[in-house]
Amino acid sequence: MNNSQHISESNQQQVDNELLHSDNNENSISAPSLQQILSSFEQCIDLVHQSFQNNHVDIVYLVHLTDKQELFREVINPLTLANEADIERLFSENLYQETTDSEFLINEVLDGSTAIFHRQRAYYIKNNKCETRSIDKSETETVITGPHESFVESASTNLSIIRRRVKSSKLKTIKLQVGEVTKTDVYILYIDGIANMDYLQEFIKRIELIEIDAVHDSNMLIQLIDDVPNSLFPLFLTTERTDTAVSKLVCGRIIGILDGSPSIFSAPSAFFEFFSSPDDYYQRWIIGTSTRLLRLVALCITLTFTALYVSTTTFHYEMIPEALLLTLTESRSKVPFPPLYEALLMEVTIELLREAGARLPTKIGQTIGIVGGIVIGQAAVQAGLTSNVLIIAVASSAIASFVIPSYVMSASIRLIRFGLIILAGTLGDLGIAIGITYLIIHLSGLTSLNTSYLTPVAPTNFKDWLDVLIRAPFWALKSRPSQVNTSNKIKSRQKK
Amino acid sequence: MKEKLNPFHVAILIYMIQTGVVIFSLPRMLAQYIGYNGWISVLLFYAFITLNIMLISLVYRLCDGKSIFQIIEQTLPKIIYYPLYMVLIVAWSLTGSLIAKEYIIIYQSFVFPTTHPMFIKIYVDILAYLLVIKGIYNITKAATMFFALVIWTIMLLLFFINNFQFLNFTSFYFREGTGEFSGFVDILSAFLGYELVLLLFPFAEKGKKLMKAVHYGNLLTTSTYLLVSFVCYGFYSFEQLKRMKYPVIELLAYIELPFVERIEQLIFSLYLFTALIGHVLYMWAATKTAKQALPNANMKWTTIIIFIIAYAISWIPDVLMKVEIWLTYLGQLDLTIALGLPLLLILLLLFRKRSA
Repeated sequence: MNNSQHISESNQQQVDNELLHSDNNENSISAPSLQQILSSFEQCIDLVHQSFQNNHVDIVYLVHLTDKQELFREVINPLTLANEADIERLFSENLYQETTDSEFLINEVLDGSTAIFHRQRAYYIKNNKCETRSIDKSETETVITGPHESFVESASTNLSIIRRRVKSSKLKTIKLQVGEVTKTDVYILYIDGIANMDYLQEFIKRIELIEIDAVHDSNMLIQLIDDVPNSLFPLFLTTERTDTAVSKLVCGRIIGILDGSPSIFSAPSAFFEFFSSPDDYYQRWIIGTSTRLLRLVALCITLTFTALYVSTTTFHYEMIPEALLLTLTESRSKVPFPPLYEALLMEVTIELLREAGARLPTKIGQTIGIVGGIVIGQAAVQAGLTSNVLIIAVASSAIASFVIPSYVMSASIRLIRFGLIILAGTLGDLGIAIGITYLIIHLSGLTSLNTSYLTPVAPTNFKDWLDVLIRAPFWALKSRPSQVNTSNKIKSRQKK
Repeated sequence: MKEKLNPFHVAILIYMIQTGVVIFSLPRMLAQYIGYNGWISVLLFYAFITLNIMLISLVYRLCDGKSIFQIIEQTLPKIIYYPLYMVLIVAWSLTGSLIAKEYIIIYQSFVFPTTHPMFIKIYVDILAYLLVIKGIYNITKAATMFFALVIWTIMLLLFFINNFQFLNFTSFYFREGTGEFSGFVDILSAFLGYELVLLLFPFAEKGKKLMKAVHYGNLLTTSTYLLVSFVCYGFYSFEQLKRMKYPVIELLAYIELPFVERIEQLIFSLYLFTALIGHVLYMWAATKTAKQALPNANMKWTTIIIFIIAYAISWIPDVLMKVEIWLTYLGQLDLTIALGLPLLLILLLLFRKRSA
């Protein structure tokens, strides 16, 4: 039996007599359903059960999930005032929806609806209201120009943002649930006529097959529906940015919103998609193209720069020009470690600083930055633990890793860098080549929703290069990406 | 529906199989066996290879998308085709393994003189195995990525414009070459790899595009060879060229940038990609043939066993010269397969047509 909550003075008496009422009413209302609800929510302090004796009505709701004002206005007040004759007319209103499914009713109560029982019949009224964070700027995906709003944890707010941006009845939404215990809502969004229905079916199938107690974030969910769960790379793109989400939708991708997560996920995704930012489209195309190319250069730098330092200073000194060689040897003369250990030491320190900076509040984070800067920049060199040139290499590759717009992808790339450094320290340039070969072999086997992860480079589609490797002017971006395999290929008829 | 091979990727794949470390010694081979202005003879070799590819095109046209194994097994008795399969498995797996070994020995002699090459080969073989088991679609995808990482190196030839002298070409044509038959076969071996397209028939879309792609791939290989040989002939004198083991590596050593020089080892490292694709494709061909010979065998284990046996045999030639001799013999065998197998298939197809 449930504990009653004190709701208002007008209902005080009913609330106090809750136990008695519910027992007395067992025969008068839809007993099995009410009984089932009450036993399901046994020992739930936040469940309220109220009885209206005058007209044989019982209501059940979760107090923290319902909109109090609406509850009083639409349920409690009418039921208090209504007599037996008015009650049938009241329940015939559209506001009250009848159900015969107890399981469904339980889920509705969990969603914040109020369940109403009257003479063997059960109704519910949607009056849920949850406190949510207001729409704010994205902290992880900032842009200089363009919209700043980002998604929040509430799926309904996120849906409203997307609906506001895509005013089309072709934007379809499907609701699923994940988490055997948490029953978290997942909304699948796609644009009818653009999205590929086979991909949609596959996407839904994968989400339905998830068997786990709880899913807390989109980045967790995508790991459960991955094509290759052991891959180091994220196979579905996640974003907090609303404009990015809408751009994915209109280009034919399917997006998913997980209730409780401020990131949405889109599918299918490709490796090179993680290197584009909405900023690219809000600037002149030449600037956008340069920035995109810069990110690809950053990818090469972050992967290979420190590894090349290790390889050169361990095996290939002849590659360094004479003038530079003097500086380098002088810089390395005091260092007692081989370049491999020296580089690993500094890379691990940088990673420690990054991780500490990410976990600490901003003000302390700044202190960590300053302390780290002094330790890395000065003390390590003066103590003879590392060379100046290595610091430049490590810092460049760390900075380059943060140029990658997706944090998840950036983290993957940073980890791979360690593997390449170790290979460079053991096999020189050949080691780097072996590492890159392994990386490409791994990447070539990856798929996102059964489509190639390396598209549009492999399989090659030169048209797509215009919007992946570079950011061509809008008049040149005429078709949707080949990866989405849509029948509605043309996205623009803009003339030059 | 299963994904089909895209002609563009087939062209790149053919280029990647054909091009290997041989590009670093080809100008010397041309100078040694053909003589003055030997770079022009690349076109003659191209013509020969093109004829061979046309022969394969004829098979493709007659076989109607069937695999070559189907054609063989439907016409020949087991007692004949089993030994044939054995020859193919041995030839292809050893070629693959020794291509990798040749690359490794060259690299090892430059950088790791005290390291045993077979130790480094373990790494390369593991990579090759990982790619072979991923299947031909993923191999072509990887080949495309590797191609992007390698093809730009051709641009480095621009560095030699200043030191290029037409005087080095002389007015003699094909003189002073030894003219050895085995030398010609060695040069022809530089183009080998295209014959593996015989195994790609069932994976490609029907139509002429597949064979066109092979022609384009071969054309790209020839253009690269021609360009590299042309630059070497113009950069070195004929006598220099004849005496250098790897003239292209020496050529790369001349490049000096403000922050880096002697990049020959770095560039040579990148050619791991082409050597690996050659290695992978020959191994893939060998495992495909083995699968045909032993249809009930576990493919993963069959592939592992082929890799281990090929690795063990490739241990025998322990120095570069012996590896090159082995590769010369294998090149002759592969060339025989490249010419003989299409001819055999055409005969079988015509015989079947007649008897039908």
